[in-house]
Amino acid sequence: MSAAATTPLIETRSLVKKFGSFTALNGVSLRVYSGEVHALLGDNGAGKSTLIKILSGVFPPTSGEITVEGKVVSFASPRNATDAGIGTVYQDLALNPLTSVTRNFFLGRELTRFKSPFGLLKMNEMHEIAMQEMKKIGITISDPEQAVGTMSGGQRQTLAIARAIYFGAKVLILDEPTSALGQKQQMEVLKTIRRVQQLGNIAIILITHNEIHARLIADRFTFLSLGEVIGEGTAKDLEGDDIKRLMAGGAKIGDLAKELAV
Amino acid sequence: MKNSATTRQESDRLETKSWLNAVLARPEIGPIGVMLLLFGMLGYFSIPAGEFSLNPFAGEGFNALGIRNNLRVISQLGIIALGAGLLIIAGEFDLSIGSMIGFAGACMAMILRWGFAIVIPYLSFDGGMHIEFFTLVHITDVSALTAIGITMCFTLFFGWLQGYIVVKSGLPSFIVTLGGLFFLRGLTEVSLRAFNHRPDQTKGATTVTEIPDIKNIIEVPGYGEMEREAAKALPEADLTAIANSLPADTIAAITERLEYTYNRVAEAKTDILIAKGVKPMERALENALASGNDYMANIIQDKIANFKIEPVVAKTVTDTDIARVYLDSITTARPVANFFGGDILEPVFDWLYFPVDWNTNNFGNQFAPGLYSCVMIWVLLSILCYIVLSKTQAGNWIYSTGGNLNAAKANGVPTNKVKISLFIFSAFCATIFAACQVFEVNTADAAKGNLKELEAIAAAVIGGIVMTGGFGTIMGIIVGAFIFGIAKEAFFYIPGIDGSFYRVFLGLVIVASALLNENIRKRIMGTL
Repeated sequence: MSAAATTPLIETRSLVKKFGSFTALNGVSLRVYSGEVHALLGDNGAGKSTLIKILSGVFPPTSGEITVEGKVVSFASPRNATDAGIGTVYQDLALNPLTSVTRNFFLGRELTRFKSPFGLLKMNEMHEIAMQEMKKIGITISDPEQAVGTMSGGQRQTLAIARAIYFGAKVLILDEPTSALGQKQQMEVLKTIRRVQQLGNIAIILITHNEIHARLIADRFTFLSLGEVIGEGTAKDLEGDDIKRLMAGGAKIGDLAKELAV
Repeated sequence: MKNSATTRQESDRLETKSWLNAVLARPEIGPIGVMLLLFGMLGYFSIPAGEFSLNPFAGEGFNALGIRNNLRVISQLGIIALGAGLLIIAGEFDLSIGSMIGFAGACMAMILRWGFAIVIPYLSFDGGMHIEFFTLVHITDVSALTAIGITMCFTLFFGWLQGYIVVKSGLPSFIVTLGGLFFLRGLTEVSLRAFNHRPDQTKGATTVTEIPDIKNIIEVPGYGEMEREAAKALPEADLTAIANSLPADTIAAITERLEYTYNRVAEAKTDILIAKGVKPMERALENALASGNDYMANIIQDKIANFKIEPVVAKTVTDTDIARVYLDSITTARPVANFFGGDILEPVFDWLYFPVDWNTNNFGNQFAPGLYSCVMIWVLLSILCYIVLSKTQAGNWIYSTGGNLNAAKANGVPTNKVKISLFIFSAFCATIFAACQVFEVNTADAAKGNLKELEAIAAAVIGGIVMTGGFGTIMGIIVGAFIFGIAKEAFFYIPGIDGSFYRVFLGLVIVASALLNENIRKRIMGTL
């Protein structure tokens, strides 16, 4: 485990999140290194969403701490998390389908001639950057004025990822990036993730419940069940059967198979 | 397995549009078509009966006065349609626009008429319990700018309040501004009655009258500031004195102009008299021809050909005439009131009368003095809105707030601020509309602006604004205002048709536009 010698890009220590009397996360510790894809797996209700919401600053943890590059951070808002270098690509991608690629790429962070909401947009420069950044992770778009609604699911995913990286994400959180896509589109997205991984300086947290995808691309795995980590390790550490068992929340897959066979 | 699809890229699936397709895919193309149709109808149907022309601009709908009046209706609607349209693009509604117009107009008029005071009511126990008022500030003789400023404080605050309630409560803006609609209209009526209250009346009226014609206050040399009409009604001796004090070239210019007018009027009068004299003979000729009496017909034809009349003699130019024209030409001493209620392009319309002889009515006089200044305000506001919506960061925020609120929020767009600002802007537009009316007609009425909110929304929808937000252009809103404003006129001129058919037409256009908009939106969303 040579990577463990270096400082993790992002690390959580014993994160606990309670909603009233309900414990959503019960002491989750996680280490993600740069240049790695860290798959976060677990069944519905395992606490994946709660964990990424804490990491992206939507709400604070009840206890526990988060460090980015060794420094303890706390986020009061999603903006804080973005500023600290955590870029989250949600399932809905936070895109406005009715406007152009460029307008979406720079949404909320438009380049203007002077610093004011009424500053004129530097449209040409923005077009160029948007095209370039998307090309870097593998998608060439023919027209930056194209409405996002006319793009394929894979293209949209790439747009959202390129945007997060361009605006300084060192940690990229991908929430179920392949869930709503067709087979071919899923492969496109995985290729995109691979290219981001190859950039080398970005840590990717991949939330999924598709273990096939996770196994194709992830370097490291963490399994959540009922708000706790029930298993972790590198790709080598885990055998295929293990992943299946852990995915199902620790139930013995063999038992399940037996039950079904009856 | 080899990947056989490598030659075909995802980006290839988006067909590059041809120029024609790109034009046809513009959301404004349908409305522009309807607008041109209405222009054609207005032009051709307003050509006087019995005349024929291929040029639609020969019709009455496009004579100088027609243009002046139509553009007024269009631009007034256009001003509030901008506010309503931008708000719809951001995903909200404002139903209080009409009431806001009434309220702002009444507020402005009351301040101009009675001044402005801040009073603190308190309970007094001297001689029985009653409410006394302590006057904190009281200003009278308020300038137009101050009146507009104070009114803006109220209306913009109300706009802010509606926006604040909408974004904080999450209630539909439909309900919140529906409340605003009733609240403001009621408040306007109540305050107008209260201020108009006289001891001999049990109830006051819901209008404000007797406001001076502020935009026409001029500085007359030697006489000080006075209203233009009052100055023109000065005793003859005073007018002569004014005329004599003018420099020679001014007098020469005015004289030339007046001589032209008087000759033109005399010509027109002569033509009218000839027409009057000839008409009975023409009728007799028709009768004669119908009954086959050729002999009689020949005699009458001869008479018509030789019909002569003593030409009307043109009036001579007097000093008082010169003085009156001069007083008309003095620029206003109240530029703010004139900015909202006055006329623009007067030199152009003067030139179109003399020497061009187009802006001339049937009696030989100048037809239209200029365009209403609300046209200029509309143009300025439209340019401003176009730049903000299409060229600035704020514009992208407006689109995204209406297009996908959660996405906008997630990307750090201050969506609440965007919405509240647009509620304030909508109130601003309504106040500008009210200012244009008040300073133009110098009265206010609690019923002003009734149903204007729906007209503004209709104009926006006709112009391609999608009701669910996120989509639309300023160009579209402008075209929508044209269609809505001109439909009534265009239908008015159709012979033998009830004028109210224009509403039937607009009703159809609104629904058709909404269907078309929805179709375009779905095509862009990729769900069609």
